[in-house]
Amino acid sequence: MNTRSPFPIVGLLIGALVLAAIAVGVIAVLRIDPSGEQGSGLSEAFDYDLQQYQKIDPALFHYKQTAAISTGMREPRAVAVGSDDRIFVAGDKLMRVFAPDGAKLKEIALESEPQCLTIGNAEHAFPGRTYVGMKDHVEVYDPSGSRIASWAGRGEKAVLTSLAAAENDVFAADAGAKIVWRFDTDGKLLGRIGQRDESRNVPGFVIPSPYFDVAVAPDGLLRAVNPGWHRIEAYTFDGHLETFWGRSGMGIAAFCGCCNPSNIAILPDGRVVTAEKGIPRVKVYSAAGQFESVVIGPETLAPNPSATVETRAEHKLRPVDVAADSRGRILVLDPAAASVRVFEHK
Amino acid sequence: MSKIVGGTRRVPSANCGTRRVPPTLSRIALFLVFVAMSAAVALAAERFPPPDFTDHKLPETSQPSPRGLLLDYLDLAALAVGLSLASYLAIVRRSRRGLFLLTIGSLLWLGFWRQGCICPIGSIQNVTLAVFDQSYRLPLVAAAFFALPILFALFFGRTFCAAVCPLGAVQELAALRPVNVPAWVDHALGLLAYVYLGLGVLFSATGTAFVICRYDPFVALFRRSGSVNMLIFGACFLVVGVFIGRPYCRYLCPYGAILGLVSKVSKWHVKIPPEECIQCRLCEDVCPYGAIREPTVALPATERRRGQKRLALLIGLFPLLVWLGFWLGTRLEAPLSRLNPTVRLADRIRQEQTGRVEGTIDASDAFRNTGRATENLYGEALALSATFHTAGGWFGAWVGLVIGVKLIHLSVRRRRTDYQPDRAACVSCGRCFWYCPGEQARQGWIQEITPLQRNV
Amino acid sequence: MTNSSNQKLDRRAFVGNALRVAGAVGIGGAVAALAARKGQSREWVWQIDPAKCIACGNCATYCVLDESAVKCTHSFGMCGYCDLCTGYFHPDPIALNSGAENQLCPTGAIKRTFVEDPYFEYTIDEPLCIGCGKCVKGCNAFGNGSIYLQVRHDRCRHCNECAIAVSCPSQAYRRVPADDPYLLKIREQKA
Repeated sequence: MNTRSPFPIVGLLIGALVLAAIAVGVIAVLRIDPSGEQGSGLSEAFDYDLQQYQKIDPALFHYKQTAAISTGMREPRAVAVGSDDRIFVAGDKLMRVFAPDGAKLKEIALESEPQCLTIGNAEHAFPGRTYVGMKDHVEVYDPSGSRIASWAGRGEKAVLTSLAAAENDVFAADAGAKIVWRFDTDGKLLGRIGQRDESRNVPGFVIPSPYFDVAVAPDGLLRAVNPGWHRIEAYTFDGHLETFWGRSGMGIAAFCGCCNPSNIAILPDGRVVTAEKGIPRVKVYSAAGQFESVVIGPETLAPNPSATVETRAEHKLRPVDVAADSRGRILVLDPAAASVRVFEHK
Repeated sequence: MSKIVGGTRRVPSANCGTRRVPPTLSRIALFLVFVAMSAAVALAAERFPPPDFTDHKLPETSQPSPRGLLLDYLDLAALAVGLSLASYLAIVRRSRRGLFLLTIGSLLWLGFWRQGCICPIGSIQNVTLAVFDQSYRLPLVAAAFFALPILFALFFGRTFCAAVCPLGAVQELAALRPVNVPAWVDHALGLLAYVYLGLGVLFSATGTAFVICRYDPFVALFRRSGSVNMLIFGACFLVVGVFIGRPYCRYLCPYGAILGLVSKVSKWHVKIPPEECIQCRLCEDVCPYGAIREPTVALPATERRRGQKRLALLIGLFPLLVWLGFWLGTRLEAPLSRLNPTVRLADRIRQEQTGRVEGTIDASDAFRNTGRATENLYGEALALSATFHTAGGWFGAWVGLVIGVKLIHLSVRRRRTDYQPDRAACVSCGRCFWYCPGEQARQGWIQEITPLQRNV
Repeated sequence: MTNSSNQKLDRRAFVGNALRVAGAVGIGGAVAALAARKGQSREWVWQIDPAKCIACGNCATYCVLDESAVKCTHSFGMCGYCDLCTGYFHPDPIALNSGAENQLCPTGAIKRTFVEDPYFEYTIDEPLCIGCGKCVKGCNAFGNGSIYLQVRHDRCRHCNECAIAVSCPSQAYRRVPADDPYLLKIREQKA
């Protein structure tokens, strides 16, 4: 029933109440911000912050960058050092060769996308020969750049991530099969290294993601990264595990995250260069595994400060590849900048 | 993604306006083969295998399905049944009690159990989006929710509002001490519903937001959860609704605006006295929504001439009003486009780049990490702003049109001999039935009434 | 006189009815045409595109429901089954066990079970998960990204406009058909 009340005060009260309710309602609705710009409102316990682990004491950097060679590639994947310290970069669907000072020497087109490569050094049976690892097979190129062989595919599960060449052997690290294949220079399979074997105390490789690196060290042993165990293992070519070193942890001397280091390189004196993903950093350890120095850290490797923890696959920092030349220079392939950064000891 | 609703980005070159070619069987087969091949390749290429377990089966990621379509069709059936029942009760049976019970039923089912979503009010936006975005396919249920109450209104008046709409139902129950709203306030505020309709269409046509859903005052109440501010907003509406009956229905509901227009030409409509009106005015007194119009008095000739001149002036001014509205609407490009997330992001990125604002927000960080060129974003934002320029103009023209029509409508001379419900404003709630002596006589509660003398 | 006026009324009524029926058919037909475009009308539900999600945490607080309908989802085929899972453990755990001080998840919603040496399986306890995405960040920072956020459709209210979608900083929400409502990182066989 509509009111025609004899008490005007009631009308005033009702009017005041209605106006107050309208005012409160309008204020409430204006305070709503559906855009999410204010943030989630969750407490600090829900923050994931790696900042504290990314800080590195500047005194630990014993290397300085002396050059940066632009690869000109959209997606460079691997870097290696060939004869005369020439720099080989594999990416996109090609291979580029640069002089030690960065001058572009050669470009070789490839049939499919290269994942890794290695070049036979002076002691190798065929010095200067380039072995390029595609996803599931190895291709061989002579020093002039023409393809001389394509070895048999390693199967559907194969994911070749690294190659290393000794005098008469070529090693292919297969992250999919979690094994290191041993070939001779013709591509014949000689054996496999790292298969789980309790009797020989070989634990087997724990490889959760396609980052699995091998390198031949000056002491004649093959160094293979066991990422899940956070250590670098030294094997004889017959597969006997000689020694290993490395531990997990966020500290600068340890390997961070769940599976690191992602790449390694061996300096001429046997020291090991390691590259990690997650907290992108390149470090140098002694041949026995003592931490020595940091080469480059997240501050200079990340394209922008917030890019280190991103959930989208294409925005994660692609792990860097490392190589070392005969002069002890460390080459770091920076995929974000698509360039090879050259570091020398201070 | 340039917007939060809809499927793919609305780029003229890419998705819309493609010629419709009837697909032949071979074409379909070829497409399926291609899809299968690319899917197989994609799977094989991207997936790095998990460890080789000696004896462990990988669990499957659970994928619980959404509630089946059956429940949606049940809602639709409930709507149809409710509409039929409401129309029957309002027009044939003329039973306020029946309508009241149906109101409670609708509140419980469509309101608290189905939690008030999807509703016909929001479906305006779905239909609009389907018209303007080729990639959005309108669900059948949304289409039916939009069309069914309108179809019923075309024949029976606003019976949806009477006892079926849960928002109306909760306001109906809250109208405990309605006061008389002065006519000029009522008419002025009534325009807001059309403006809101225009805004709802504007934002859904540009694929920016469903504002009607976003600012639905009662849905938080129905869900018994939501942001505190929305709950306060809803509570304030109810407090206001105690004194001003059905504030949302009368002054804001965009669907009510549509139903009102349709109801003006409905075949049947709620009638107050079953036979003759005796001008007792009891119904006008009891109507909580001020929807009953009194009989008109004959005006002297001078007044009539003045009225005609005013009407002529308003009709002449009408195009000017629309044009002015269009022009003013285009000026609204900036505030309207701010609701669009892409435009806001572009704004923020520019502010950060020029140093006008410190720090970054999640959205700008996320954008920078995509590696997409800022020029690209700016281009997209500019294109969207241009869309808002024209859309704002149309919105302004609509508001001008609505104001013009309202003024003309108020100036047209009506001739009413009885107290009648306003066909657009009456929500068919049926409260007037009980108070009309003619109805009471029909029900047998009082003896036959003697017709009173009427004023000529 | 009355006859002709009656006729006029009848004609008017007839025309009026005809127009109404035409209007009804018109409205009904137009709306049906929109719904039946391309021969198929479908129900839409909301889903997160994991390629765009940045795990900002808005999913946990912007859902209209008190307990968000967004939960973490694990694609087991992508997981590395690491002993030191960075989605499960704090970046610097004291020990690799299920002690609360070692876990990343603030609500303890991830369960770690031993499979075989040295592999562990991680499953999500949905009632405990609030959809904050901290584990997603951890998994993506160092690991394979096998944990990510998805809208769980047995919990989602299917609002016409998803409040989380509006608040998402990277516009990761989109409409997907109700019969295929998940955007999993790898397509698995549906049971």
